[in-house]
Amino acid sequence: MSSPILQLDGVMKSYDALLATNNVSLDVVAGEIHALIGPNGAGKTTLIKQIYGSERPDSGRILLNGENITSLSVPKRVRKGIGRSFQISNVLTDFTMRENAIIAAQAQRQEAFQFFLPAFDDASLIEDAMVILDAVGLTSKADILVSELAHGERRLLELALAMAGEPCLLLLDEPMAGAGPQESQHMTDIISALRARHGILLIEHDMDAVFALADRITVLVEGAVIAHGTSAEISQNPAVREAYLGREDEAC
Amino acid sequence: MTRFFSLIGRGLLQHRAMMYLLVGFALFPLYTGFADLPFWNDVAIRIMLLGMAAMGLNLVLGYGGMVSFGHAAFFGIGAYCVGISSYYDIFNGWIHIGFSLVTCGLMGVIIGLLSLRTSGIYFIMITLAFAQMLFFAFVSLETFGGDDGMSIDRAEFGLIDLYEPLRLYFLVWAALVIVSLLLMFIVHSRFGVTLRAIKSNESRVEAMGLTPLKFKITAYVISAMICGLAGTLFASWQEYVSPDIMHWTRSGELMIIIILGGLGTLAGPLLGAIAFLLLEEFLPELIQAIAPDYAENWMIVFGPILIAIVMFGRGGLLGLLIKLFQRKGAS
Amino acid sequence: MTFTLFLEQAFNGFQAGITLFLIAAGLTLILGIMDFVFLAHGSQVMIGAYAAASLTALTQNFYLGILFAIPISFFAGYALEYLVIRHLYKRDHMEQVLATFGLILFFNEAIRVGFGPAALHSNLPASLSGFVYILPEIPYPEFRLLVILVGFACAIGIHLLVSRTRLGATVRAGASNAAMTAALGVNITRLRRLVFAIGACFAGVAGMMLGPLTSVEPGMGEPLLILSLVVIIIGGIGSVRGAFIAAIIVGMVDTMGRVMLPVILRSFMEQASADGAGPALASMMVYILMAVVLVFKPTGLFPPNR
Repeated sequence: MSSPILQLDGVMKSYDALLATNNVSLDVVAGEIHALIGPNGAGKTTLIKQIYGSERPDSGRILLNGENITSLSVPKRVRKGIGRSFQISNVLTDFTMRENAIIAAQAQRQEAFQFFLPAFDDASLIEDAMVILDAVGLTSKADILVSELAHGERRLLELALAMAGEPCLLLLDEPMAGAGPQESQHMTDIISALRARHGILLIEHDMDAVFALADRITVLVEGAVIAHGTSAEISQNPAVREAYLGREDEAC
Repeated sequence: MTRFFSLIGRGLLQHRAMMYLLVGFALFPLYTGFADLPFWNDVAIRIMLLGMAAMGLNLVLGYGGMVSFGHAAFFGIGAYCVGISSYYDIFNGWIHIGFSLVTCGLMGVIIGLLSLRTSGIYFIMITLAFAQMLFFAFVSLETFGGDDGMSIDRAEFGLIDLYEPLRLYFLVWAALVIVSLLLMFIVHSRFGVTLRAIKSNESRVEAMGLTPLKFKITAYVISAMICGLAGTLFASWQEYVSPDIMHWTRSGELMIIIILGGLGTLAGPLLGAIAFLLLEEFLPELIQAIAPDYAENWMIVFGPILIAIVMFGRGGLLGLLIKLFQRKGAS
Repeated sequence: MTFTLFLEQAFNGFQAGITLFLIAAGLTLILGIMDFVFLAHGSQVMIGAYAAASLTALTQNFYLGILFAIPISFFAGYALEYLVIRHLYKRDHMEQVLATFGLILFFNEAIRVGFGPAALHSNLPASLSGFVYILPEIPYPEFRLLVILVGFACAIGIHLLVSRTRLGATVRAGASNAAMTAALGVNITRLRRLVFAIGACFAGVAGMMLGPLTSVEPGMGEPLLILSLVVIIIGGIGSVRGAFIAAIIVGMVDTMGRVMLPVILRSFMEQASADGAGPALASMMVYILMAVVLVFKPTGLFPPNR
């Protein structure tokens, strides 16, 4: 196996009395989709936030391509190669799709802090923007305001924006949330194709999608890793069945 | 370079309303000359200067989404730069302007860095508090007139004698044109769209690897400098400066001007300044005609008008005009 | 500076702080818990002061004046919420700032039309204008002591209201999720109106007590409003306990600064310039204090847990 893109080493985080992340170690290698699953409140999003940089762990280390990024800010980590999609759609709703992509493209080129270069009507930026939108098949809707888009299209746009910086690591927090079966299938196809270019850490509740996509799965319960392995190993693991799938069955 | 010029051309076309207003102000003295209404030149100067200050504030308020309730402070610092320079026998207007831009820039950095640590209601209040702090600082400076303020002479601009008719008018007009062009560039530049993106969704901009604070503080400093420039020219026009120039109600006035004209538009603040000052001129006269005893109390009508503007005036006057003419991209 | 003067000023500072708290308490509920930027709270202080002063003049009895002024303050807040404020909850902060700024202009001018631009003077009844000895040889005005006591009583009342009744929790719930709270059977509309009226009532009481100490005039509310905003920011928006502590600190700093700073400045400046700069520097102190607090704790000293 190649050297890991992302490596977590004994990460701990607590809020007052609540232990949100309990000694978590895991890694993501190039070319794999690593799914992080667990019941609600297991601390999945808290863990993603620590990898992304909006929360700091109390102890432990986070390495990106072997470099310690534990104390870096969000923008610095993004520039080092982390892309993220959020649990709740997080796009620029007051702008069109194309404008969203243009803002991402100029940020990617390190040219956002330019006072005398045009933005929305710059031909080369528009070109870049269309490439970004093309990755998720949204070019035909480039001129539509995001606030007028359907939910599924916003999720796709967000994925496109997360990929715009060509990150080595993608953090996807429930990309299928709120999507219909058809949209889920479409999203699954797109994410599956991304494997070649990005290491992916995926949080998802849609089990069909997880088993279809994940190369490896880590199961988080009450902040701690209780199991770790391939899809087949995880679905056979009795501890997982009890802690997680059991509950899921009841819920369904 | 060609991109630079294409931006000017396209910008001006996109902002017809702004262009009409600037041309209108250039031609206005012709009218006042023929009609023999020199008083209205002074009203126009006040409109242009308050409009300029509001345009500066609009960069942070309308485009950056930072509700600063203390921008009168920068207007006042700009004005006091004239007063303080004159006190030390420096009457050169260019030095006044340079002094004002540097001081307001520095104060903008300091106040901005401290205030931008907070957000929401806290930001509104801390900017107000800094303005109050400066207000009381100038009240306490007896050397510069304290509470009563100080009389000053109009600045000297080489061959341009500001006491000659219309010289000051066109100096102010030229400054307004420069500020308008500058803002036009900024708003459509990569910096400007990123600033607007931050207003729309700060965390997405951060996820693009950018540091929102860097953009916000830069916009804050630019807007402070524009307000300072307006204040500098205002002091020279008024030939007098006192702490009242940075009273907190003026910060409110600037916000009213913006929302009246159209938040987050280029021409909006200038249009709002016209409406605001005309209201201030004509409302007392109107009340005089209806109830002569209460002409002095025009604020009793003005207050409710403000509330009505907030409640029903979405998009401001510019939005209304655009709706009337149905012209695309006339902002 | 004698010890006597120091002690007297300390009492005055405490009294100023407790009056500020009465204004800040209602404001922190409106601002912090209902998330509404209400600048016209100073006008409520003015209304209370005018009601008390004019009713005292009318009835020739200070106590009767106060007695009638309290319900007037309450209903002024109630009516204001009904007529204007309730239409503004869903607007953004800036629009709330502007609309309530318009209210300030209106109220100041309305008072000017109704009562004239000059300050009203309300005389204290003989029974309150004496002195008490707080320590042997240290006399203190009876009325100021009464202000402190009334302020304390109100502070305890507010504390009980917020912590012991369900009011605080319900308002908080209403602010974070109005639809859900309404679905649970709470009448949000009435609740908000009540909070406004209670806030106005306390602000009015502050105005009544300030009346005999300062001048009752149009625009008297705004300096108080801004000071109480500072109090709320220092204390942490939405925290009644924070508002109390911050109010005492601000009252002390402001009052003591006015007296002490010129004295301190005189030790290394000429007397004339020291006397000139002192009071204004004292006014600045409060804002400097606020800036320092926010640099270290951007959400105030006692941010409420959300």
